[in-house]
Amino acid sequence: MSARVNLLHLALVPITIVWMVPLVLVLGLALKPTNDPSTFFFGILPVNPSLSNFELVFEQNPIFRYLLNSALIAVPSVLLVVFLGAMAAYALALLDVPLKALIFGVLTLALVLPMSSIVVATFQVLQLLGLYDTTLGVSLVYTAIGLPFGIIVIRTSFLAVPSETRDAAVMDGANKWQMFWRVYLPLARPSIAVVVIWQLMLSWNDFLLPLVALVDKNIKPLTLIPLVYRGEHFTQVGALFAILIVVSIPIIITFLFAQKYLVNGLAGAVK
Amino acid sequence: MTRVTLRDRLASFAFVLPALILFAVFVAYPIFYNLQASTLQWNGASDGTFVGLGNYGELLRDPVFRKTLVNSALWIPLTIVPQALIGLAFALMLDQPLRFRNVYRALLFIPAVLSPVVVGIVWSQILDPNHGTFATVARALGFDSLQLNFLGDPDTALFAVMAVNIWMFTGMSMLFYLAGLQLIDHSLFEAAKIDGASFLQRTTRITFPLLRTTHLTLLLLGIIGSLKTFELIYVMTSGGPFHATEMLPTYAFKQGFQVHEVGYASAISVALLVIAVGAALLMTRVFGAGFLTGEKK
Repeated sequence: MSARVNLLHLALVPITIVWMVPLVLVLGLALKPTNDPSTFFFGILPVNPSLSNFELVFEQNPIFRYLLNSALIAVPSVLLVVFLGAMAAYALALLDVPLKALIFGVLTLALVLPMSSIVVATFQVLQLLGLYDTTLGVSLVYTAIGLPFGIIVIRTSFLAVPSETRDAAVMDGANKWQMFWRVYLPLARPSIAVVVIWQLMLSWNDFLLPLVALVDKNIKPLTLIPLVYRGEHFTQVGALFAILIVVSIPIIITFLFAQKYLVNGLAGAVK
Repeated sequence: MTRVTLRDRLASFAFVLPALILFAVFVAYPIFYNLQASTLQWNGASDGTFVGLGNYGELLRDPVFRKTLVNSALWIPLTIVPQALIGLAFALMLDQPLRFRNVYRALLFIPAVLSPVVVGIVWSQILDPNHGTFATVARALGFDSLQLNFLGDPDTALFAVMAVNIWMFTGMSMLFYLAGLQLIDHSLFEAAKIDGASFLQRTTRITFPLLRTTHLTLLLLGIIGSLKTFELIYVMTSGGPFHATEMLPTYAFKQGFQVHEVGYASAISVALLVIAVGAALLMTRVFGAGFLTGEKK
């Protein structure tokens, strides 16, 4: 049986290699020095790989500054979505909240709202709140947009917590908050991992909102830089692809850490 | 007694309150704002003129708006179905007790976590008719006729962006199916095996129907995602050539930020919202809301 299962490698290896070609191309172009454009494997891999593009990119731009800005936008919104989303999910799953169905239905509206249709209005709200041209303002918008998905996913796993667990905590005299914080939240770890990745994809990768809502050059996130390179430094293909790698590394690393929880988390399982 | 219950309910309500406040400020208000702005002829700076439903009347006569609807109607099935089928095939293989299966899973999922900006730029490079990887491979293999300008030709551009979308999000479908497969009771397979059902029979008769919740979740997320598609198109074609890849969000963005017809752009956004909410409501009506809320009927 297990020998037959291993035959799947015969299909999976070529499929995965083909699927990875675009990513290998990014690496190849980023590592191709401008003074030696010779390549092999259909122009994908450089003959003499070098890190010169990365050096150039870090010289021309305050990359660490941009990385920090991206983190200042993404990290608060991820934390807020997990925390506020779990609180709301707890109430909507287990507590007696007025108008529960309506709240749940209305929240899902945010799922269908495209960024491009709210930027103009958000722009005004942020100005009114004094949050225009701040990373916090952008972060809060992502939090609001990401909350519904967070609530839906975490709520599903709260519903899967066996009622005996709940009864035991009630016997121990836990109040609502203690029940949420000490019992339910730790059990929802897999689904929280899903929400972290989902929210990071939203807040780290989006470029439309920062494009419109951030003017100060010193607070712009990293995702805006590739578009600048594409426009102004049209010829520096290597530098452009080096930046693409720098943009992608943090989110890929986070994903690799969260990976083992993701399948369980989406299944709504509790640990 | 009622006093205690009321206090209790207020305490419970406090758990939802922060989420609701953020929602009201950054989601509900913008929707209201769009509704209001859609009744104006307005460039976003000076005072607007009230035109009632004039913008909507104009929408109905606008050939580009019709084009975006046709594009969405093509985009929805032609991305969701391949993503689901390929994703399911990956999931079925990677659900087996296979060595390195986590490596395969991770590699196949990575495109989904990347920024659409990154994906769009990479694929623009691949599909470049002169120096692109696709053209180079085609030339090397002797298929010179395949050196086409996929993104520059109105007949192929939409399908080229769709292909990129499929590449990007198949891993996401795979992950949802892996999660769905976990919830299937394995004794069903054993019983079917004993009854002599082949792998194909087990898959089509047992696995596929039991993944109903996952299919529906992916369908709903896919419809919403398709209607919202913006970044990939903005980076790869900007909606062109000649609106061949125009979608509702890219058209709204152009009207709002490039032509400064904010009133008209708002009407497009409202139309998008109505379509998306309508689709979501229709789905929960037809299939029940259980797949979304996690409740068994």
